[in-house]
Amino acid sequence: MPKILIPTPLRQFTAKENAVTVPGGTVGEALDALTGRFPDLRKQIFTDEGKLRSFINVYLNDEDIRYLGKAATPAAEGDTISLVPSIAGGATLAETVAPALSKDAAPALSNEEILRYSRHLIIPEVGMEGQQKLKAAKVLLVGAGGLGAPLGLYLAAAGVGRIGLVDFDVVDFTNLQRQVIHSTKDVGRKKLDSAAEKMLAINPHISIDRHEVALTSENALEILKDYDIVVDGTDNFPTRYLVNDACVLLGKPNVYGSIFRFEGQATVFAYQGGPCYRCLYPEPPPPGLVPSCAEGGVLGILPGTIGLIQATETVKLILGIGEPLVGRLLLYDALGMRFRELKLRKNPECPVCGAHPTITRLIDYHQFCGVPRQEAAPAQEAKVNDGEIDVTELKQKLDRGDQFVLLDVREPHEYKIASIPGAKLIPLGEFSKHVGEFDKDADIVIHCKSGGRSARACGILRQAGFAHVRNVVGGITAWSDKVDPSVPKY
Amino acid sequence: MIRIDPVPWKAMLAHATETYPNECCGAMLGVTDGDQKTVREALRLDNAFAGAQAARYELRPEDLLAADSAARARGMDLIGIYHSHPDCDAYFSKTDLENSCPWYSFVVLSVQKREFHHANSWLPNFDRTEAAREELQY
Repeated sequence: MPKILIPTPLRQFTAKENAVTVPGGTVGEALDALTGRFPDLRKQIFTDEGKLRSFINVYLNDEDIRYLGKAATPAAEGDTISLVPSIAGGATLAETVAPALSKDAAPALSNEEILRYSRHLIIPEVGMEGQQKLKAAKVLLVGAGGLGAPLGLYLAAAGVGRIGLVDFDVVDFTNLQRQVIHSTKDVGRKKLDSAAEKMLAINPHISIDRHEVALTSENALEILKDYDIVVDGTDNFPTRYLVNDACVLLGKPNVYGSIFRFEGQATVFAYQGGPCYRCLYPEPPPPGLVPSCAEGGVLGILPGTIGLIQATETVKLILGIGEPLVGRLLLYDALGMRFRELKLRKNPECPVCGAHPTITRLIDYHQFCGVPRQEAAPAQEAKVNDGEIDVTELKQKLDRGDQFVLLDVREPHEYKIASIPGAKLIPLGEFSKHVGEFDKDADIVIHCKSGGRSARACGILRQAGFAHVRNVVGGITAWSDKVDPSVPKY
Repeated sequence: MIRIDPVPWKAMLAHATETYPNECCGAMLGVTDGDQKTVREALRLDNAFAGAQAARYELRPEDLLAADSAARARGMDLIGIYHSHPDCDAYFSKTDLENSCPWYSFVVLSVQKREFHHANSWLPNFDRTEAAREELQY
């Protein structure tokens, strides 16, 4: 016969009793017995579907039953069951995101600015106050590429007063299909300079901070700390986890977006007690399982759609209006032209934002994701290690007529764009099936576009006991650079 | 109507100003007579929010459970929760409302530039979609 303690306001439903002893072998049965005896109490504790109301935790003695046997937790004579609410809160949106925005600190708008932002000012939800919030806001864009392009252009136009850009890349021809902030004439220029020039041309009333660095565990907190909102426009897992953890540690909202081929995702992480990226994905995928846009391709328009969803969320957070995309992962399918939504929950055991975090400082994210550090130096400068072969050596080998097998592990549609003469095409996805076709002592050389997929193919063969397997450093891209410029780069 | 006795009131103000610029939080223990609540004791609780605490607080359910036991042990009840809003008004924010519970009075203390400014008490409705202001005396 366990005893259930009744919180003060619920005693009006229990004939003023502050503790009720009920039969029941489990916590669930005890609560059923209680609400059976006092039917008006039922609705206070359970939803119409019979679930506990979201703010109620049930404790058996001093332990949460979620960590015991939930409703099936045995409850016996002498046990005490308590109903304990989850309580949290805090000053809202506007204060969280732009704390400096008190009445007298709000930056004034000049007559030129008032004219410029006219279409904002006449929306009641924005108005002068909202536009001043935008002007006072400080937003950091991590990456000035596909997602960063629409973000930079529209946030600048909207009048976000200070925009930081983090990027160390230069514009190349393959960027122009989607990174609309850069023009053909900008190829070879720093992305930071090219992007900042376009943004300031749209709106000279804003200021832009250029962070020409790769975001690392050493510099991330220092760079992020000055901004109200961080927008993740990165294309790799180490930086994504780094941005997430840094945002959680600093208490900054992380406006997330990602794209691949015809599909995209967006959500707002680490905001007002909502879930973070690690609640969704505690661990990164095995290296190579999820291809990047450089490996898998992306529809050029797609980052426009996803980047603008991120821009919209950013502006909403600054203005403190609407319903932020928190706890919901928005999925976009361009081919079906459909949006779907997945509910995201904060993981109470999340290693970074959970109740007992194990990650309390930034870690080595390349090691965590099992991928080599992305260097700012061009790929063709990479040195040749054991198990690798340089494209010039491959060319000499071909010219000498050496006996060896040359494999290309790209996809058929890539093979059609460009190929190395004599290479046999076996896409990586089918590679394992073909392992038995080769002699274990044969001299085997494998290439792909830039060396990532072929490295995995080499690994598969080595695991299968092949002794002489080499990966072509820099892939067919290096071949085009150093051996045969008539082979197109893509 | 909720009335806070001078001793707990002073303790709450001290807690709020000491914790500035972060938010503080705690439990209010006392007695209820019809609609009249009287706070006899304020109990400081940890702000367990994992991120920046300048505009957020979170209570551990275990701490709340302990506060409830402490109240019962002294012949009182847990009747409310207090927290501070550094450098902003003592309104009941959307975050406050969505993470509240309809069982208690929620006293919000506005602390501006480390000094107590004003306070309000709020009663969230059953569905936590609105909070009504409760008359507060101290």
